[in-house]
Order: sequence, then C-alpha cells, then structure tokens
Amino acid sequence: MDTKNLNYAFEIFEGMQLENLNYIYRGNFSQSITDNILLLTESNLNSTKENSKIRKRVYSIMVEGLQNITRHQEENAQDFSEQPGIFVIQKNGNNYFITTGNIIENIKIPIVQKLLEKINGLEQDQLKDYYKEVLMAGEFSNKGGAGLGLIEMARKSGNKLSYEFKKLNDKLSYFYLHSGISFIDEELKQIEDEIQDSLKHIITLHDILNTHNIVISFNGAFNQESLVLLLSIIEGQSVSSATTKKKLFYLMVEMLQNIVKHAINYSNTLESGNPGMFLISEDKGNYNLISGNYIEKSKVQELQQKIDQVNNISEDELEHFYNKNLLDFEMIDSKKSGLGIIDLRIKSNHKIKYHFNDIDSDTSFFTIQVTVN
Amino acid sequence: MDSLIIEATEDTPNVILSQSENKFLISDRSLPENSIEFYLPILNWLEKYSVNPNPVTHFEFKLEYFNTSSAKQIAKVLLMLEKVSKVSDVLVKWYYSKDDKDILASGSRYEKLINIKFQLIEI
Repeated sequence: MDTKNLNYAFEIFEGMQLENLNYIYRGNFSQSITDNILLLTESNLNSTKENSKIRKRVYSIMVEGLQNITRHQEENAQDFSEQPGIFVIQKNGNNYFITTGNIIENIKIPIVQKLLEKINGLEQDQLKDYYKEVLMAGEFSNKGGAGLGLIEMARKSGNKLSYEFKKLNDKLSYFYLHSGISFIDEELKQIEDEIQDSLKHIITLHDILNTHNIVISFNGAFNQESLVLLLSIIEGQSVSSATTKKKLFYLMVEMLQNIVKHAINYSNTLESGNPGMFLISEDKGNYNLISGNYIEKSKVQELQQKIDQVNNISEDELEHFYNKNLLDFEMIDSKKSGLGIIDLRIKSNHKIKYHFNDIDSDTSFFTIQVTVN
Repeated sequence: MDSLIIEATEDTPNVILSQSENKFLISDRSLPENSIEFYLPILNWLEKYSVNPNPVTHFEFKLEYFNTSSAKQIAKVLLMLEKVSKVSDVLVKWYYSKDDKDILASGSRYEKLINIKFQLIEI
C-alpha cells in the first residue's frame, strides 16, 4: 500500500493541531458558504469552555473578515478563480487567530497600506473616535465607510492588525489580513509577537494548500452538528456534476460519522465531539476526501485487515460482503454497522488509501483517503 | 390505530405512517447519529400494523440520501413489510432521481434481498 502521498495530510494535521479549533476554507465565498462557515465556527466555539464575551469578540472579527473577502471577490471577479480566497481560524491556548486572504490589484496596495498604518497608529480610545468619523463621512458619500470593518477588527481584537502583501505578478498580489485576540482572566492581552509568528505560519500553510489544491480543511470537534454544517458547505460548492456532488456527499457522511462514532477523544480537550481532521482536495476533477482521527492502537490491526480486504476483493465479492453485513442485525450497537468501509469502497470505485501514525503506547492516528471522479 | 408523523430535519427523514389515509412514506434525508433509536418507533408502528393491516399497502421511499447505518434500519423496515405482505397486498415504491445511480442501486439491492413486490420509479 502506497501511503507516501498521504503523509502531507498528517503533516498538516500535526502542524495545525494547536488546540481544539482549526478551520480553513479556500475557494469561492458565496453567501451560503459564508453563513455556514460562521455557523460551524460558532458551534465549535460553543463546544469549548470559552465564555460568551470572548466568543462574541472572535465572532465579530470573523464576520468582518469574511465580509472583506466577499467584497474583494466581487471587485476582482475575473481574477480570483486562479487564486481563491482563504479564511482561517485557529485557536492556540488563550489565543485566537483569524486570517483572511484575497487577491488585490497592486495599484490599490498603497491605499490599503495607508489605511492599515493609520489604524495601527491609533490607540483604543482613538479608534473609537476614528470609527465615528468614518461612519459620519460614509453618510455623505458611497465611498465612505471603507475601512470601518478594519477599524472594528482592530477594536475587537485589542491588537494591531497584522498584514502581508505577497506579489503574484505585475498586476496582482495576495493580501493577508491577520488578527489575533488573547485573554488572561477575561481581560484582553496584547500578543504582537505571537501574531507575527502565526501569520508566517499561515502563509507557509497556504502554500501547502495551494500545492495540493485543498479546498476545505477542518480540525475541530466532530459531532453530528458540525457534520451537518460541513455537508452544507459541500452543497454550496460548484462541483463538475450533480452525480459527483452526490457521491461526495455520501462519502463525507460516512467518513465524518466514522469520526463521530469511532474516534477517541484523545487528551480530552473537547467537551462535545471528537478531535479529528477532514480535508478535501481537488485535482483535475478528481476529489480526494481525507479524514483523520485518533484510535486505540489495539484496533489498528483489525481495521487494517478490513480495509485490505475490501480493497482486494472483486466487485461481486464486495456486493456479497455488503449484503451480508446489511442483513446482519446481530451487532446490537448501531455504532458498529460495519458497512461504512465497504460502502466507501463501492461508492468511490477506488481503492481506499490509509495510513497509521504512532502517537503513544495506546494511541494511533488513522488517516483515510477516498477518491471520487 | 394512531398515525406516526415525523417531520424531516437536516439529518432525519420525513415519516408518514397512516392507516386511516392508507399512506406510508419515508422521504428526504436519513443520516441520524443514532439510526436504531430513530427507526425504532417506525418498526414498532409497523409491528402493530401487521396485526390488522389494510388490504393494500403501498409503501413509498423517496429518499434523497441515506447513510449506511440507516441502510440497515431500512432493511429492517422492509423485512417487517415482508411480514405484512402475508396478510396485505404490499408494494414498495422506491423512487430515485435520474442522476442518482446510488439510490437506484440501493433499491435494486433491496429488491433482490427481500421477498416483496418492488417498483423502482424514476422521478
């Protein structure tokens, strides 16, 4: 079994596994996708022990950031398909980082940069006045109001806005906007160094995502609620055909429910749901769905045998195996329907790739990849 | 006997089981976290119905998606209908949309496995 090309998935997981939330979306930002991203992160914020004051601040920075992407996307409709927007939210200890990335015309950079420098030069109380000033100006011209979102992000985060322009060509650059928010005993805390470091990390990560054309990457609490929200994000995607979209949906349900039901809550960081990862990458009309989760090491062998078995039997044998499992009601626990892996193999019509990483003496990390075209 | 009506949610199907209206339907999506729990009242209802069913029972499945754990429970529902068919004229109407080969394949599979009249209907 060639598992080499699955290593990057675990690398991403390891690199991102800061604590209990890590969500990246890269692609077209429609209204419904934006709404679902907000719902998904909200539900994940609620599954942590965070208090509501912190959650609200994180949430409003997210809203502003997402609006920023959609606005830029409209302005650069013809250019963005090559370089889709990106949204990232990460949590590390008491620190939250929210990043947006989108394409920008080089000629607009000085204006944006000037605005960011102006905002970063102001103290919290000055920001409040400046916000009012810009708001008032906005009543007299349509152009006014630009920058309100940025001011709001700076106010809510309690930190300077971090940003980076990465030149793509003579005409276009990629614009990263990055906010960090941190708390100690419910008080805002300044974390300028951490913010700079994490932006560098995200830019590197973005390169990996671009290389493998990863459209969705989600690390966080996997429960039925996050499953439903991730599914709606798939429904909002433009996929080559209705049949492929439906296949993606089927496979996603099985893979995600597999995490919800079988994964172990390693290190017990999450209150509701199991930690895990889910990635979708696209390559010339082929979609790779990758999920990863912690399992007990004692179950590795059995799982490996089962996947090898479904990979190596003929279509007829698969069908027979499925039917046998379908009508086997002896397994009382619905958690062990046993059909999931057979179904993944039948529906994708590809061999299932998998990989196990050693975590500690009792735990392994299980990565599985299913391809659809 | 009382009807069993369950409204659809994002992950559970719409269910109408009504002897008085002679309507039997499971539609929409079925991907509950706990399929056994969700399908238990349906199976219990059919068990009671099998004691004194209508002369004709047309049971409709109009499923958009279902997960593998629902597949098992649907098999149980169909086996229950097999029992009903001893005393009622049972027909399973299995609907699938033209571009959904998977729902069609599932219907054909059940048709082969379960000894009951089946009609696969394209919509």
